[in-house]
Amino acid sequence: MGTGKRKKSDDGEVEAAAERRGGGGERVKEKKQMVLPSLIKNKEKRSAVHAKLKRDKRIEKRKKAKAQEAALQRALEIGEEPPPKKVPRTIENTREPDETICKPDDEELFAGNDADEFSEVLKQDVTPKILVTTCRFNSTRGPGFIEELLSVIPNAHYYKRGTYELKKIIEYAKNKDFTSIIVVHTNRREPDALLIINLPEGPTAHFKLSNLVLRKDIKNHGRPTSHKPELVLNNFTTRLGHRIGRMIQSLFAQDPNFRGRRVVTFHNQRDFIFFRHHRYIFETKEKKADPKDKAAKGAKEKNAPPQKVIARLQECGPRFTLKLITLQHGTFDTKGGEYEWVHKPEMDTSRRRFFL
Amino acid sequence: MPRASALECPGCPSLRALTTDALGLVKVVEARGKVGTPKVVETWGPPDASRGVLAASFADRKIDPLLAIARKNCLVEFLNPLNGDALATTKVDESDSLNGALKNDQFVGLHLFRTKKIELSSRLAVFLTCTEKGKACLRSVALRDAPADLHTDSPSSWNICTSGNVTCSSVDNTENYALFGGKGIEVNLWDLSKCSKIWTAKSPPSNSLGIFTPTWFTAATFLSKEDHRKIVAGTASHQVRLYDISAQRRPVISVSFRESPIKAVTEDMDGYTIYVGTGSGDLASFDMRTGKLLGCYVGKCCGSIRSIARHPELPVIASCGLDSYLRLWDARTRQLLSAVFLKQHLTNVVIDSHFSAEG
Repeated sequence: MGTGKRKKSDDGEVEAAAERRGGGGERVKEKKQMVLPSLIKNKEKRSAVHAKLKRDKRIEKRKKAKAQEAALQRALEIGEEPPPKKVPRTIENTREPDETICKPDDEELFAGNDADEFSEVLKQDVTPKILVTTCRFNSTRGPGFIEELLSVIPNAHYYKRGTYELKKIIEYAKNKDFTSIIVVHTNRREPDALLIINLPEGPTAHFKLSNLVLRKDIKNHGRPTSHKPELVLNNFTTRLGHRIGRMIQSLFAQDPNFRGRRVVTFHNQRDFIFFRHHRYIFETKEKKADPKDKAAKGAKEKNAPPQKVIARLQECGPRFTLKLITLQHGTFDTKGGEYEWVHKPEMDTSRRRFFL
Repeated sequence: MPRASALECPGCPSLRALTTDALGLVKVVEARGKVGTPKVVETWGPPDASRGVLAASFADRKIDPLLAIARKNCLVEFLNPLNGDALATTKVDESDSLNGALKNDQFVGLHLFRTKKIELSSRLAVFLTCTEKGKACLRSVALRDAPADLHTDSPSSWNICTSGNVTCSSVDNTENYALFGGKGIEVNLWDLSKCSKIWTAKSPPSNSLGIFTPTWFTAATFLSKEDHRKIVAGTASHQVRLYDISAQRRPVISVSFRESPIKAVTEDMDGYTIYVGTGSGDLASFDMRTGKLLGCYVGKCCGSIRSIARHPELPVIASCGLDSYLRLWDARTRQLLSAVFLKQHLTNVVIDSHFSAEG
């Protein structure tokens, strides 16, 4: 039965094709190209059409690139302004407009920043002192991660969690003049969440932690020194982003030791915060006669010094990604707490909407 | 395919709302025309975190409206809500701040009386304050342009409780009764003319497992305008409770709503609908005759709701909170009309109902 049915539909299509053929000679060709390969039922024919389409597309693309290249060459020869380079459209640069993005001339923002919970640390009135602890069950990668975290964050102290409640720990840390608590939460022996509590008044940020790579798993990793690191915070643009950025900033000492040449980066891209830890070095090198560069920088090379300074990076690890889940007003309180920001499914109206 | 949907905000009818925030600013938001987009038209006060607003009360009158705001530094200010002139400032607990023990006591409730002393050409503001430690104080203050011979009553103050923290207070429409509740304090009703407690709630019994939920009220209001006997309260254990003081001391109806504490409860004009806002930004309306959820207000609300205000005539409610947005909703269709970003953690919103677009 099934085959019979299929035959029938095949017949239908043949008829339809025949009808199309009935039209004018040129139009037939046009129409034939318009037929989507996915509509053809015979696999061999379909793959043939698909391959042809693909080939045509590739040729077209190459032609376009060649034309562009030629235009550029011509412009260079004549000495004209080269045609403007096209900027690819990405999700970030087509981000939905957001009124919460901070403007540099916003008086209220600065007044608000001066008054917020982190200003004491950021104005260097208080030196940050961090308590690092874990969830109750902690093994394998957790301790390794914490060890590396302690080497990244200056003045961080690890305390065993024991069976204490987090609220008790917060009380204890307040009495001992800690400025922040970091709780590494582990699930199935893999760290999967990070809780950062600013003391004494909050806020509390809850991050999802993923893609954790420890130092020993990074190829050609370096060993960090105990100097205070420099901090790079990228792309924290909105109000919420600023707040998170300032929170992260308040974990680190505000007077980096540049001699140490250590840099800690928190890079925000599409609401994911990427953490990297590097050592850098500026090296003076004899300028190599690079055949590729020569053509482009022909004129420049004559008056340039024979030596040039290059910066080299070496990653020190760990490497991980954070995503904000909630930001809570006040210190950790799951029952009676108020949230400043919670992610809700109804907020995901677009791929181009970001919150940080 | 990228899903790119623009925010669909139909715009709201012409109205004027005033918000107060944690930085001590008072912002005026106005929407003009039939379907206007609300905009910030005025900002009053210098940004200063020590002057953060904790409570606000608005006497919504045609002539001589008055806005009272209680600040963090124990000051109560009276503003003209039309142009922002400061009409009077009083320091409420001068005596308390001396002994130092109550230094960390903060305002939680403020009510400006609308009907009392109106015969004195309303140049005298009568207000009730309530602090976290349970000190209630009823006093009056002469406004700036008051006649010099005007005598102000001596303030009468009383203690609501000896332990626990007061978190919510409300005064009924006739302004004869006030209710207080808080962490470790059951809802209690006071007669303001005699300054005496007339009713206290009783905590619900422990559940079938023998677990007793500690008392922690986070929001309370009177259910209807005419009746002071029905009280709606929200708790930190995410329950909305209806108390009827003429019936029993335990709640008549108790409904659970979602999983975060109820932070704001506001009554409607019709006497049975209430609006409820929670600590994680959920806004809903309940019919308190049956205790049924009428529906939720869905609109990207991502921070704790601190305050809800109902427009007396138009079917519009305004909500604000820690996500720094003032949102205006259609009370009937539960649709978001518009949202205004106000940059700070907002604490209170009031609606000026006598605003007309021409004026």
